[in-house]
Amino acid sequence: MHFALHTGSGVGTDSILAPLFESADRFAAAARNYLEGSQTRGPAAAAAARAFGDFLRVETMDLFRFPWSANPGPGGAGATAPPAMQDFPAFGPSREHQLRWQRSADAGRRLGDAQHRLQLLWSDALRDAAIAFAARLEPPDSSAATGAVPGVEALRGLYNVWIDCAEEAYAHIAHSNSFSSALADFMNASSAWRKESQANVELWAKALDLPTRSELNTLMRRVNSLEEQLRLKEARDPLRTDPATTAPPDPRARRPSHTRRGKRP
Amino acid sequence: MALADVYTRLAAAAEHCAPGCSPKELVWESGKLRLYRYLPTAPSSGAVPLLIVYALVNRPYMMDLQEDRSLIRGLLDAGLEIYLIDWGYPDGADRFTTLADYIDRLLAGCVDHVLAAHRLDALNMLGVCQGGVLSLCFSALHPGKVRNLITMVTPVDFHTPADLLSKWARKIDVAAWVGDGNVSGEVLNQLFLALMPFRLGHQKYIDLLLGSRDQAQVDNFMRVERWIFDSPDLAGSAFREFVTWFYQENRLARNRLEIAGRKVDLQNLQLPLLNLIGSKDHLVPRDASKALQRLVGSKDCTTLEFELGHIGMYISARAQREVPAAIVGWLAQR
Repeated sequence: MHFALHTGSGVGTDSILAPLFESADRFAAAARNYLEGSQTRGPAAAAAARAFGDFLRVETMDLFRFPWSANPGPGGAGATAPPAMQDFPAFGPSREHQLRWQRSADAGRRLGDAQHRLQLLWSDALRDAAIAFAARLEPPDSSAATGAVPGVEALRGLYNVWIDCAEEAYAHIAHSNSFSSALADFMNASSAWRKESQANVELWAKALDLPTRSELNTLMRRVNSLEEQLRLKEARDPLRTDPATTAPPDPRARRPSHTRRGKRP
Repeated sequence: MALADVYTRLAAAAEHCAPGCSPKELVWESGKLRLYRYLPTAPSSGAVPLLIVYALVNRPYMMDLQEDRSLIRGLLDAGLEIYLIDWGYPDGADRFTTLADYIDRLLAGCVDHVLAAHRLDALNMLGVCQGGVLSLCFSALHPGKVRNLITMVTPVDFHTPADLLSKWARKIDVAAWVGDGNVSGEVLNQLFLALMPFRLGHQKYIDLLLGSRDQAQVDNFMRVERWIFDSPDLAGSAFREFVTWFYQENRLARNRLEIAGRKVDLQNLQLPLLNLIGSKDHLVPRDASKALQRLVGSKDCTTLEFELGHIGMYISARAQREVPAAIVGWLAQR
């Protein structure tokens, strides 16, 4: 079975679905090897099942990457101090900058460490899934014994078994304290890294006299406070008749389809 | 399914992905919030209007996805008058909006508008998922304004054993995560997908490629796909409060919740309650919803369980047959 043969219309292998079909080709080849290897009983069959399971584990690890995964390498997450400055006591005219660099470097290291711990747990889940999958595989039927090529439905059945095993193994680890701790460490390290990055950006913005997030937040809080005071004043106004306040419509607001403006039923 | 066939069907389906299918009119707005009234499709049953309060997460058109997958249309066809709150897409200017703003100002404004328009003292309310939590809080704070309350896939006890999202949330420094900004809808989406990553992130696409050639099914898939990834950012302050007070401290179930300085006591909820639960819901486990029965003071609290998942409660064929009928039948008796 060669999924790439189904292009038909001449859509090239660089289409957006091509990686998926290449993955399917690898899956079909690995499944074929497993079925051929499991025709004989005993250690050879067990080895074939293990190999198939390990293939699935490696293949699946690449599919899931956390979208927030940073790569705080050199020149990545914020300014990192030169290695010589990492642990050097901060003093002198550049003291504040050195502390800032050290904090950024620490945040980057924490993030990398947390990401690594989380990825190890993911790998453990996939390893457990592969073991469960290998144990769950049915002995080959007579069609395999005659060397017949497995059909799409047979391969799909194998795939669905893999998904079941993967979800069960993942759920077992995801519900554990170690996973929730690792995930929380990763989220908290990401937050700390972002905070240091924001501080670095604000420093440069101030140097160029550009508006900063801190300034805008201060202004926004003042506006919110004024709006709240106005609402309270309107609520206490004895001459006020409309119980529902209405803000002017936002001209930037999206207008869904199938709508019309109406005020009363 | 041949690759060319896949492309053709997906491209055709993409043109049908309108956000919602039933005609409605804008009747009130405040900031990003839009209050809609759906145009009737059947003679009025005479029932008190029903205000649907959706979650702040995701978009409400899931309840009106397509003509044969619309809970709202099912309710309209039964002669109910339906209003829907669309919270909109928060941006940086909304970062300091709190739960008190959402419940006591924005939701209250919608309720007041509907009551004034119909010259009523109280309306019916349907809260969906997190919207159910907001509805419970509103009803507890303003008991005279809600006549009957329906909650659908609504978490109440956030510390049940099967609640994976709650386990993950408990050790996160939410204040650091939010900072002074909003929370990315895209990041939250990835968290939700991480609850069942293999089924939600891979298997469903394989099923699409190897499944039926039915264009209607592909259309439906693409509409749901649009909804899943159409995730608004969340106002930072409200998000921080919600995760801290509900997911981490479970204040609602522990009777320790205050909104705008006032106690939210579910024991004071004496109004009729209908609680709709999906027994296969992986996002809001059934025990998290079922807890409502033991926490409220109302003697008229009905729990209905459907063998459906979280999204199935909105769009499955079974939900279309059973959920609107359950709501209409229950309301008709009250």
